[in-house]
Amino acid sequence: MAAGGLEKLLVANSSDIFPRQRKTTLPGGYMGRILRVDLNSGSMKDENLPEEPMLRKFIGGQALATYILLRELPLDAKPYGPENKVVMMTGPITGTGFTPGGTKVTAVYLSPLTNHTLGRGAASGFWAVYLKAAGYDGIIVEGAAPKPTYLYINEGRAELRDASSAWGKGATETEDRLRAEVGIKDAKVMCIGPAGENLVHAAMLCNDYNHNAAHSGGAVFGSKKLKAIVVHGTARPPLYDRARLIEAGLRWRKTLMVRHEAEKRTAGHAVDLGAAPNFNFRSTVIEESHIEGFDKNRVTLRPCFQCQRLCPWDVELKSGNHSGTVGHFNAGSEWLDTFYNLGVRGNDALYLAQRINDLGIECSHFSCGVGVAFEAWEKGLLNAEKTGGLKFEWGNVEVIDRLLDMAARREGYWGNLLAEGPVEVAEAIGGDAPKWVVHTKKGTPALHDWRPHFGQMIREIVASGGMKPQGGGSVNPPPDLKYREKWGPLDRNDPAGWSWSNALSEQYRQFCGLIGGCWFAQMHMKPDGLNSMIDSFNATTGWNFDIDQALEAGHRSAMLQSIFGTQRGWIAEHDWKDVGARFLEPVPDGKHKGFTIAKWLPELVYEYHRLMGRHEKTGRPFMDTLKKLGLEEFQEWAQLD
Amino acid sequence: MNEKYGNLIPTGQLLDGKPRTILFDAIKCIGCRQCVHACKDWNDHPRTTVFEISSSNWITMEPPVLEGLSPLWARNSCMHCEYPMCAAVCPVEAITKYEEGPVVIDPNVCIGCEYCIYACPWGVISKDDLTHKASKCTMCSDRMSEDKSPFCVQACPVGALDFGLQEEVSAKARTRAQEVGGYVYGEKEAGGTQVLYVLKEKKESYGIRSVGPQKYPKHKISLPLMLKDLFTLRCGLQGKVRALYLAIIHPRRLLYRYWPWRQVV
Repeated sequence: MAAGGLEKLLVANSSDIFPRQRKTTLPGGYMGRILRVDLNSGSMKDENLPEEPMLRKFIGGQALATYILLRELPLDAKPYGPENKVVMMTGPITGTGFTPGGTKVTAVYLSPLTNHTLGRGAASGFWAVYLKAAGYDGIIVEGAAPKPTYLYINEGRAELRDASSAWGKGATETEDRLRAEVGIKDAKVMCIGPAGENLVHAAMLCNDYNHNAAHSGGAVFGSKKLKAIVVHGTARPPLYDRARLIEAGLRWRKTLMVRHEAEKRTAGHAVDLGAAPNFNFRSTVIEESHIEGFDKNRVTLRPCFQCQRLCPWDVELKSGNHSGTVGHFNAGSEWLDTFYNLGVRGNDALYLAQRINDLGIECSHFSCGVGVAFEAWEKGLLNAEKTGGLKFEWGNVEVIDRLLDMAARREGYWGNLLAEGPVEVAEAIGGDAPKWVVHTKKGTPALHDWRPHFGQMIREIVASGGMKPQGGGSVNPPPDLKYREKWGPLDRNDPAGWSWSNALSEQYRQFCGLIGGCWFAQMHMKPDGLNSMIDSFNATTGWNFDIDQALEAGHRSAMLQSIFGTQRGWIAEHDWKDVGARFLEPVPDGKHKGFTIAKWLPELVYEYHRLMGRHEKTGRPFMDTLKKLGLEEFQEWAQLD
Repeated sequence: MNEKYGNLIPTGQLLDGKPRTILFDAIKCIGCRQCVHACKDWNDHPRTTVFEISSSNWITMEPPVLEGLSPLWARNSCMHCEYPMCAAVCPVEAITKYEEGPVVIDPNVCIGCEYCIYACPWGVISKDDLTHKASKCTMCSDRMSEDKSPFCVQACPVGALDFGLQEEVSAKARTRAQEVGGYVYGEKEAGGTQVLYVLKEKKESYGIRSVGPQKYPKHKISLPLMLKDLFTLRCGLQGKVRALYLAIIHPRRLLYRYWPWRQVV
């Protein structure tokens, strides 16, 4: 290949991103360094954070990480090739201690679930705080190690260590072992379980017991033989205006909708949504049996670093067949709906949830796959001969337990199929099975029954595929954005306004992530919910963003995400065409019976892309959009007419 | 204050002179350590280990296991004694008892003799490795002078920490103890402290020390340390001169420092 051709193929030219010597002042909140780790050679290098104008544009988190990836990742990279990279970034408010939700790290990479869109996993807890305490704002992982390895960063010094003692172990045990191995009780561990090691496409990154960054990051770590990253340090980010940050942080805190122990004894988010997925999304009814035994369990709230929203919790099961099991969970309760969907109820669901988190499989990936297989069994498409003697019956805890192990270790026919994904499971079963799958672009939505709700469904459908999307407008527009008039009625039976609501909420949630905040702690529904967050960011960095600039930063991040897909073959039509049929079926029963957004497709998707400044069918950004966002350098990917 | 303390320990006033108290409710505590980090954040301490008391970690939550992994939690930090032995043994009078409650070490006066470290019945004073000065919780005296509650208290996400006027908090503590079938710790210990705990189980189960009701409890400063201090230039000439001067003008204090079997006031 001619040298010119090679250059075109490898867009890796990032020397202008990371200055050798800073010419501009580092804004507050940043540590100033990114660690670049080459697992091929075992070499490591400190990169300076970009100059102030570039930082101001991308801030951190997903936007800065994606920009680095866009600049460095070859267009012909394969998800499991050593050329794939994982770029992990925190944001300026991560680890200040003075705001709720200042806990976020976002990892981006080419997704092995879709092979052509951006994969992203974001985690809260403590890990990101201690990465900054160790002196780094982010990490770029390149290459692949010859043998199981973990990265240990302590007080600004990084080294690669042998991870063979932890290889094959679950996430919780890995965390304990590696913490003991480095001999520092305060060290924080982000690791993969057996699922990541065995390239289950939707393997997660697991950290701080209760936290998982889902959507394939674990599989990419596994392909690089990187078992974990252990961080420890004592540094704290410099702050531009500490007093103002404390004041803004307290205001932010007042907007939080604090969670309570009692909520942890309910059926979780399914209650809010008014629907639980049952029997592969064929019933939405929540019954008493769903929460059987929950009232007897010992529940402890286990909040993230300095966040008072109290999402994560631990449980000790006090009844049922697995009494004594200790589980570590975060908010969201996808893992609960995961097993409700397979007919499991009560404490058995919590037991299996702890197992799946420990193995490191993204729960929806497993549930949507097994759901189809169980339905096929029920309908006679599968029998014991085809399942290796396993009875694929709803609620069969032993079989599901076994399938979890098989999937995580790619054991046998079914283990491999489930590791591949629900679409592959359905295709292998054949017959009508492909019509029973819930998926979006081969990834799976966070496992809840989102079907009764406009905002959430648009969000799931336009997401980057297998990546937890941001957005999802609610029926109440954010009070801080009331000045924008185009909210539409936001009626649950009328499509008007929902696409715009999703576009806006995607933007402010993206912004929250970019600054290092957790969007579970970002409360748009309350007055001051957005303003207090932006003020905290300004006080930390010394910049002076208004709400429009904040939304623009979020918009820019969303645009980088779609450009990444555009470069690799994603078009907007995939958003509504490449969706599992079951996901678009009318709600089968319950209080939202009969509702579906399918009758308003593709118009809703078209409208969303138009409002975001993209072509409705190709998904390419218009030149005007790129100019507005200062992304002209990507003009070759623009829609030109 | 003068009636209560004479010139035994330095005293001062931050705000309105009304005594205040921190309340720790062990039944509500979930062991999240947000108070521990908040303390570090407010005082701009480095993120050193949260499992041990040090000059950059003024609170620990016991037992020293990861957040959430114990059914019982207790706070371990300065109790802000009403009759603080640390202040009584300090040869340079660097430790002040404020009327509002805080017992505060002035790092500019401290000479690093370590007496207070051994005098503290709860073992919550430590020496800064860099400055060699004694260091501990200040009850956020800086915030208190602005009529704000201690930063750890406002950080607690489950309301296990409370703060207010001593009478009100004592009453609250007793009511709460009654409600949960527990008891109040800190009302009698060392003659009374300005941090109260509501506990349910035995003290030992929380890893909390048993401290007698004696005011200015006996100290554990070792004889070799005292001899070293008296007969060498440890802690610097300036410190010695100041200590000598204060010994001359406040001779009663020597009783507390060198004769632990002394009469109790």
